[in-house]
Amino acid sequence: MNFITPDFMPVLPEIFVLTMACVVLIIDLYLKDENRGVIYLLVLATLVGAAGLTLFVHTPESVTTFNGTFIKDTMSDVLKVFIYLVSGVVFLYSRDYLIERKIFKGEYFALGLFAVLGMMVLVSANNMITIFLGLELMSLALYAMVAFQRDDKNAVEAAMKYFVLGAIASGLLLYGMSIIYGMTGTLDIAEIGTKVSEMPSDNIVLLFGVVFILVGLAFKLGAVPFHMWIPDVYHGAPTAVTLFIATAPKIAAFGMLMRLLVDGLGSLQAHWQEMLVALAVMSIIFGNVIAIAQTNIKRMLAYSTISHVGFLLLGIIAAGANGYSSAMFYIIVYTLMGLGGFGMIILMSRSGFEADELDDLKGLAKRSPWFASMMILIMLSMAGIPPLIGFFAKLAVLQAVIDAGYIWLAVLAVLFSVVGAYYYLRVVWYMVFEEPKETAPIKASFDVQVVMSINGLGMLALGLFPASLIAMCAAAFG
Amino acid sequence: MTLTALLNFNLPIVALLPFVGAVFAAWASKINRLASAWVAAFVTILSLAFLAPLMALPFAGETLIQSWQWIPSIGLEFAFRLDGLALLFALLILVIGLLVIIYARYYLSKKDSMGRFFSYFLMFMGSMLGVVLSENLIQLVVFWELTSLTSFLLISYWQHRQDARAGARMALVITGMGGLALLAGVLLLGHVVGSYNLTDVLASGELIQSHELYVPILILILLGVFTKSAQFPFHFWLPHAMAAPTPVSAYLHSATMVKAGIFLLARFFPVLSGSPEWAWLVGGAGLVTLLIGAYAALFQHDMKGLLAYSTISHLGLITLLFGFGTELAAVAAIFHIINHATFKASLFMVAGIIDHETGTRDMRRINGLLKYMPHTAVLAIIASSAMAGVPLLNGFLSKEMFFDQALTASHTSSWAWGIPFLVVIAAVFSVAYSLRFIHDVFFNGEPVNLPKTPHEPPRFMKIPVDLLVVICLAVGIAPMFTVAPILAVAVAGTLQTTPPEYSLAIWHGFNLPLMMSFVALVLGGLVYFYRKRLFEWHESNVAHWDARVIFNAVLGWVNALATVVTRSFDKGSLQHASVWVIATGLLAGFIGFATVSAPLLGERALLPMDAISILVVIVLILASVLTVTLHQKRLVALIMLGVVGLIVSLAFVKFSAPDLALTQLSVEVVTVVLLLLALYFLPQTTPKETSHFRVSRDIVIAVLSGVGVMLFTMAVLSRDFSPISEFFLLNSVPGGGGTNVVNVILVDFRGTDTLGEIAVLALAGLGIYAMLQGMKLPAPDHDSHGRLWNRDLHPEIMQTLTRLLLPLMTMIAIYIFLRGHNLPGGGFIAGLIAAVALIVQYLANGIAWTNDRLKFDMHWVIGLGLLIATATGLVAMGLGYPFLTTTFTYLNWPVVGKFEVASAIAFDLGVFLVVVGATVLSLVELGKLSDQSHKTQSPLKPQQENS
Repeated sequence: MNFITPDFMPVLPEIFVLTMACVVLIIDLYLKDENRGVIYLLVLATLVGAAGLTLFVHTPESVTTFNGTFIKDTMSDVLKVFIYLVSGVVFLYSRDYLIERKIFKGEYFALGLFAVLGMMVLVSANNMITIFLGLELMSLALYAMVAFQRDDKNAVEAAMKYFVLGAIASGLLLYGMSIIYGMTGTLDIAEIGTKVSEMPSDNIVLLFGVVFILVGLAFKLGAVPFHMWIPDVYHGAPTAVTLFIATAPKIAAFGMLMRLLVDGLGSLQAHWQEMLVALAVMSIIFGNVIAIAQTNIKRMLAYSTISHVGFLLLGIIAAGANGYSSAMFYIIVYTLMGLGGFGMIILMSRSGFEADELDDLKGLAKRSPWFASMMILIMLSMAGIPPLIGFFAKLAVLQAVIDAGYIWLAVLAVLFSVVGAYYYLRVVWYMVFEEPKETAPIKASFDVQVVMSINGLGMLALGLFPASLIAMCAAAFG
Repeated sequence: MTLTALLNFNLPIVALLPFVGAVFAAWASKINRLASAWVAAFVTILSLAFLAPLMALPFAGETLIQSWQWIPSIGLEFAFRLDGLALLFALLILVIGLLVIIYARYYLSKKDSMGRFFSYFLMFMGSMLGVVLSENLIQLVVFWELTSLTSFLLISYWQHRQDARAGARMALVITGMGGLALLAGVLLLGHVVGSYNLTDVLASGELIQSHELYVPILILILLGVFTKSAQFPFHFWLPHAMAAPTPVSAYLHSATMVKAGIFLLARFFPVLSGSPEWAWLVGGAGLVTLLIGAYAALFQHDMKGLLAYSTISHLGLITLLFGFGTELAAVAAIFHIINHATFKASLFMVAGIIDHETGTRDMRRINGLLKYMPHTAVLAIIASSAMAGVPLLNGFLSKEMFFDQALTASHTSSWAWGIPFLVVIAAVFSVAYSLRFIHDVFFNGEPVNLPKTPHEPPRFMKIPVDLLVVICLAVGIAPMFTVAPILAVAVAGTLQTTPPEYSLAIWHGFNLPLMMSFVALVLGGLVYFYRKRLFEWHESNVAHWDARVIFNAVLGWVNALATVVTRSFDKGSLQHASVWVIATGLLAGFIGFATVSAPLLGERALLPMDAISILVVIVLILASVLTVTLHQKRLVALIMLGVVGLIVSLAFVKFSAPDLALTQLSVEVVTVVLLLLALYFLPQTTPKETSHFRVSRDIVIAVLSGVGVMLFTMAVLSRDFSPISEFFLLNSVPGGGGTNVVNVILVDFRGTDTLGEIAVLALAGLGIYAMLQGMKLPAPDHDSHGRLWNRDLHPEIMQTLTRLLLPLMTMIAIYIFLRGHNLPGGGFIAGLIAAVALIVQYLANGIAWTNDRLKFDMHWVIGLGLLIATATGLVAMGLGYPFLTTTFTYLNWPVVGKFEVASAIAFDLGVFLVVVGATVLSLVELGKLSDQSHKTQSPLKPQQENS
């Protein structure tokens, strides 16, 4: 049988990253330990190159290739650029941490690149098989990364939980996909969209399919009650990996959600909206309430992630170009904030010491005033306090929700933002008003200092001038 | 840039200049301690200078709006507005701010960081200006939250003091919460009006009031107002904020922070007022606050505490006036805002001076200060009298208007008759506490045990107070020539229409309001005279009531709740998590099932059942159940699992999928062997750990999931669908030259996939080999009953039999391989069969014995397989076709007959070799592992045969 050579241009960034991941794996074999930095630079160069290629192949109109299984549109391009950016910063923040713990290995970076590749495939998937391919590529790399510090009991336990629960979720997602396939006879997202819209909306089998797909999505995003893995994995994994898991994959998960729910099952909106409302409400309530009780800052941020996911879902619930772009804006802003929050924990950790208890933040303002101010900016932004970017992210979502008529959801979200503000401000409180347990200032290499400063000040700068970022997200759904 | 061009940016400059100044102030303190005070003063004057050229506009009845696009997609403009109301507040903020800056420069001691103070101060001033000058409501909320944050910084300025930190935290929690409520309210308001610009909102009063969201909007906005302006029941943060330096209190609690809420009431007065909800909520909160504040103020021993409660009370008064909802009441409210700002700022400053010069604020100790600081005493007496509402002072005028309005309001409904009485009671207390402030501090004997000897403060510390007191007098004596113009403009700005007729005259003749003032003054004096007994009663009955306790209790309660929720959800247990995931899936499925009326099953007729199928299914169910129940005995469970697998392959046979059946059969065998090898290293039984409850719960969940999945499968299968198999059935012979569709798909249609898969299989085999090299695991040398392992590892009979089996199985493998393209079979299955044949040899004869006779290395087999498969593809490319294009022809073999040769068969050979190689390699390595481990673990055992 013959087949047609596909158009490789739109996939150029993916091919590049794949090649580089393999190159990294091979070069790593021939490197001595003291030259491992080459790999690190190579990985950063790969991300920069991929960003360049993505911009190079960018076109305003969407392009499909590989028999329609792969789509490249504005949404995927914007999301990909942020995936590169966030992953690059993750690697930069992690470098010293990894070296100190003697896990500065080529495998870490190769796995990281494979995960990035998985995310890229995920946001560009236009076929259920491609979605699953991207998802598993990403997830498997992440499972392995969690267990990267093999002799750390907590990390291995976290990896095990992550893997088992992740497998259940993937299974459910796959189940949902196969049901949809059984009903529509196609795996193509666009075709599913048209076929589903022609079916009666109370087709019970389709609904079951939607339920299972939602369960899988909710797990990957970490919405209550599918959030159980988040605190354990965030807590147990090496902070460098936590930083990674907490940021870039969320962008990819958003992309997956848009492809599956909106592009594929858009005509069943009325049904999945109801389920999302339940997920969002529970995520916002439980995420915020449980975060208060945490004394470990990684766990606290884990629960805060859950509540942010609730907010993200609100944007999806609001639907329409407005709602989707606000959700996209929210997730991008969230990853930037998460990057700063977890990045600070990494900076504070030293060899043999994980600074992940709230107590470890005590008196940071006296130890390192500059880093403390950056952290304050990040925390206030997470709490949604103006004029930081977090406020505008919340604002955009709330506005979309209100315009969609879900007044009570908006009010509830605002009320629980109060609870949220409480524990973010507690972090600030610890940093400013408590006496430090130790007085040594935080050491960080110059590049990390610069990037952390950009990260923190970015909260303010983006908050004052958020228009271009918002416009970018709006363009994806224009 | 010309001046007119600059004028277009004036309003944002007025509001943003202090923020820029804050940076300079912080920087200046590094050069000189006092430099930051000069920067602050200069910036304030500069802001005033930028405001000055615009002042004529409101007086001319115009509203100035300067706006720029900010975030167009969410309707956020960077927009400023100057009307009468905004002008009044901007002037109050700037002028009183300037006075406080002068005052603070002398107030702060050498230990205090000037840079930090003035930096925070300017940021706060900028935020306040932003609030009052905003045209866009979201922008207003942004500045509103900034006032909460910056006031937090100011209140907690003395960070080393626990009370300062606690007070600041309370203020931030309460006002920050209110700010978020306000945000929600504003969002709803914008949703109703369709714009966030005040101009549009102020023009849509009727629309808002008739909208169903009016009440939620009102409540949310009022939450913002009440928390900020310390209205009941949120009033308790204000006294605790007194831990701030006195200049901060003087600024925050006279003209700014707490007035922001009042400002908002005035701002929304034209659109939100007039409804019964407004009257009850605003009026009710105002009245209660007025009474509570006035009462509590009398009993404070701390000078600033007294002023704090009096502030609460006066804010209540203003709120109550707005609550009356009439235009004249609004006039009185605005008037009182001005008056309160002036006399309260001066009183706070006086309190600060006394604190500064005596070292304490306890009114039980600072007595008789008149002779130590006469100048200050005169100022304080005038300002307090203004607070009490003594004639010829500004407080009297607005209080008269207030009494008048209270009397008017008493006619509005049958419930309202009590208002004038309650109002007079509040006024009585107001007089009493003012009297106490004068009498206790400046008269009443000699000071008690003061840390410092009191004397007059530096001259410049008094000048701001002088100025404010002069204003009190000037407004009180000649209102028409002083306050009238700005009041008129502010009222016009508030009401957004021409202001009503009102009189600012001092003398209105003998009327009821004057009587009320008189009664209040007399009774107030009496109350103060009998204060001792009242104090005793208060101490024993009321003093222990503190809203702070409730506040802390709420915080504690939230924390406790969080802990409880955490304990029940955050268990870190995998089983717990899986239960949640599955149970929620079930629940969601059930809800979907229950809420949709469409039938579950489709229209397809069900297939008939036969006895054998039923029997097989029963065995399958039994085997599955046994696998689960016997899982603690691992070997038995594994055998049961094997049974399950075999029956599944039978099911494939039943549904006409012999290929799958064969594959399943061979995979099953290999898997069981693999698991056996792994089980060797594990204990034979697992301990029982789960409780009865958990087991029964899990049974329920499992059964429900099973039933759910069954219903589901039936739902899918009972509907018509068009399978894609038709395409392959049609194209298998013409396209791939084989009648076995499965095999044609594997080696031809999806040849590239298969190539990828065998590459993975090859890698997996090599990976297992690499990982197990030299690995030793602790292996048990006896079973759970203490019996040693059988020493006769390779029984004779088995050896003999398996040697017979090898050629037979190889023949079958070749047969299956060759017929694969047309009949069930193919490289994959043949590979598995051949592998099993070899594995059996290894099992029966030992690894060394078999390796001796098996002269080739499995690595080569794997490599050869991959090479052949890839070469097939490359040959096609060499001939100019795409990779892995196949062709086929028919040959007549001598014995076999007509035989079809497809190039795919070469590819299939590659598959065959890889499967054999990878399977044998990995299983043998696992086997070696047990061999090696066993030897190291039990050296006492006799040397084993052939090893």
